[in-house]
Amino acid sequence: MSRLAGLLLAAGFLTSAPVHTALLVGGGAAVISGVVGVFTVIRGQAFAGHALADVSSAGGSLAFLLGVNPILGFLGMAGAAAAGMEAVGVRRLRGRDLATGVVLGAGLALAALFLYLDSTTTSTTGAAITVMFGSMFAIPAATGRLAAVVGGAALAGVALMYRPLLLASVDADLAAAQGVRVGGAGLMYALVLALSVALSAVTVGAILSTALLIGPAATALRLSRRPGQAMLVAAAIGLAATWLGILLAYDSYVWTPGHGWPVSFFIVTLIMAAHLLASRGRA
Amino acid sequence: MRALAAVAITGLLLAACGGAAPSSPAAPGIVRAVGAENQYANVISQIGGPYVQVADVESNPNTDPHNFEASPAVAQELAAAQLVVMNGLGYDAWAPKMLAASPAKGRMVIDVQTLLGLPDSTPNPHLWYDPSTMPAVAKQVAADLAKLQPGHATYFQANLRRFDAALKPWTDALAAFRARYGGTPVAVTEPVADYMLQAAGCVIATPFSFQAAIMNGTDPSPQDVTLEQNLLEQHRVKVFLYNQQVTDTLTQSLLSLAKRAGIPVVGVYETMPAGYTYQAWMLAEVNALRQAVAAGKSTTHV
Repeated sequence: MSRLAGLLLAAGFLTSAPVHTALLVGGGAAVISGVVGVFTVIRGQAFAGHALADVSSAGGSLAFLLGVNPILGFLGMAGAAAAGMEAVGVRRLRGRDLATGVVLGAGLALAALFLYLDSTTTSTTGAAITVMFGSMFAIPAATGRLAAVVGGAALAGVALMYRPLLLASVDADLAAAQGVRVGGAGLMYALVLALSVALSAVTVGAILSTALLIGPAATALRLSRRPGQAMLVAAAIGLAATWLGILLAYDSYVWTPGHGWPVSFFIVTLIMAAHLLASRGRA
Repeated sequence: MRALAAVAITGLLLAACGGAAPSSPAAPGIVRAVGAENQYANVISQIGGPYVQVADVESNPNTDPHNFEASPAVAQELAAAQLVVMNGLGYDAWAPKMLAASPAKGRMVIDVQTLLGLPDSTPNPHLWYDPSTMPAVAKQVAADLAKLQPGHATYFQANLRRFDAALKPWTDALAAFRARYGGTPVAVTEPVADYMLQAAGCVIATPFSFQAAIMNGTDPSPQDVTLEQNLLEQHRVKVFLYNQQVTDTLTQSLLSLAKRAGIPVVGVYETMPAGYTYQAWMLAEVNALRQAVAAGKSTTHV
């Protein structure tokens, strides 16, 4: 019996400091990504959200190069890209997938350059894996504190602008007719999205942060048509996948050769599984 | 702001071009040689004296040699070399590829892994920290140089004896440390200096899976991180050694943990820092270790 318990909950899980940080920062990122992701899915901008995450990887790798907190790098790049997308009106732009794709490629090219410079000029082994796929068990305390500020700002932004944001996301013309400043709401959405992407980039990495943004939200919108409810469901799915993923990654130390598998793999697999389950349930 | 960034990036690009090698053709009667890492290049030049022109490839103390990407200039240097010393064990995997791409008749290649008869599964590639490595390398370098320059064979032999004698202060310091402080528990971030620590009789308390994760740039498991933190917090080690050339956020947090716990830290180098010979560098590292254990003194830069 205790053997089974040991397999489900490997020794030291509850007392491990890296696990505590991962649960807090990862859980916070999952909740915020779930909430913001519902806006993204309603706006039909899943691809733009993914592109934003990819572009932010350039900021993360530049942060390693300059020796500043990675979260600031992710945030700076994601913010610039999000503001840029709003400015060119990505929503109305014809062929916006093409424009987004081109920008995504350019962002990743910058990341390639910065990561090359990282490894050839400074001593930052592992920067590539950390930026792209996250290092959840190696989040420094300073980053944890900054993540709390970023997460709080994102939630406050959503809470303050909830109704205009939602109206402008569902139907921009109708919102404008109701006196909502669509442009302002769009900028607010861009800002909140950038905060959310930066936060999840330090947990599951820039490339995989899109999974946290889109997956739980898409699943939740299958289960509930009401946006507010969907946000709660998305946050719950993201949180459950993240916490369970952290537990599985921790346990994998016992059954994998070497020293365990990456936590991002488990989280994203669980998000995928939840989506498949929800799809089957409705079919 | 943009101009500032541009200046910063240009500076970095220029810095990235460092570690290049002299490409001018060697004078007749002079052997062109390449050491894949600068510690091997240093030994070649100590044996060959004025009869070799040695280039090193990996010598930037601010970067991680594991992430090295060889450039066309390096390929050119290797193509022209008559004697090449490389570490093996995948540490400089670019070297055999480049050598195969430009075959040359009569080129001597010393693969230290092969020279020492080590299997590919050897987990720790930092062979030059093992006191038995360089004497074997130097002997082979002297023999190969004698084949390339038979007229100077006795000179190379004399230099070999001088080099072996110059290693004695280091090996003596290791033996003295072992006699006095053998069994001292230490924590490390990477296996860089592990061979030397073992020769000094230290007990490396950090699990190898942790060291391998940091060395390979993957994330260590939380179990290993907790174990490593406990080593410092609970004063279960006397010294914390970290790789000066790889300072990630985890290393930084462990460094501050060691500082809070009052455990002396020693920064070790993967490639030879500027202004040192191989033997002086190794001696400096043992001295830093001894000062840490004997006097609680930290040494972050040699």
